[in-house]
Amino acid sequence: MTISRKCVPFTPFDGELSRVTVAIVTAGGVHLEDQEAFNIADELGDLGYRVIPENVDSSQLIVTHHRYDHSDADKDINVVFPIDVLRDLQDEGFIRSTARKHIGYMGYTMQLKAMYEGTAREIANEIDKGSRADVVVLTGG
Amino acid sequence: MKGIPTVLITVSPEVSAQMRPPRALYPKGFKIGNSLGKPNHRELQRKVLRDALELLTKNTRPGEIVTREYPEYGEYHEPPHVKKMV
Repeated sequence: MTISRKCVPFTPFDGELSRVTVAIVTAGGVHLEDQEAFNIADELGDLGYRVIPENVDSSQLIVTHHRYDHSDADKDINVVFPIDVLRDLQDEGFIRSTARKHIGYMGYTMQLKAMYEGTAREIANEIDKGSRADVVVLTGG
Repeated sequence: MKGIPTVLITVSPEVSAQMRPPRALYPKGFKIGNSLGKPNHRELQRKVLRDALELLTKNTRPGEIVTREYPEYGEYHEPPHVKKMV
């Protein structure tokens, strides 16, 4: 691999954190236990993503991902998907609120172009439409 | 399409650096699967998330990854290295 020659898609932030709404987008394979699991049997990876609702109970979130050890996330999902941590920061006034929805996808693919040009755009559109997020925190495994 | 500011928390800084993320935090020595720290270590998790969000308000250089140390994590795990292309 070589360093990406694409421009860094830098969006400036000129506000106060205490007034922002924050969404989480994780590549850690996080989803609701009653959502369809990611397909870990496909060697090419799963290009899908799952929408995680604002009011989710973190105990209902699970990980389907075979490319990292998620045993700690199985005990506390916040180590890769810090939804309760974000709620704490809201309670202490560090941020204004948590977004209406968050996203989990499986950050492993042999189909980089499809991930970059397809899934990534779909996720960006998902956040853009109805999440009310001003900023996004990205996490991996 | 308007952009949205992002900040990445990564435990594989060399790998992430290849994608040149707009803003990124590397909590030094955290193992893969522990982006925010250890399970139920909420105080540390809050600290990491606050530090990540605060990068939005700092003059970071796009594409660079900021390393922070969190001694309370209590372990050091060497992150994966990227093979240099000859």
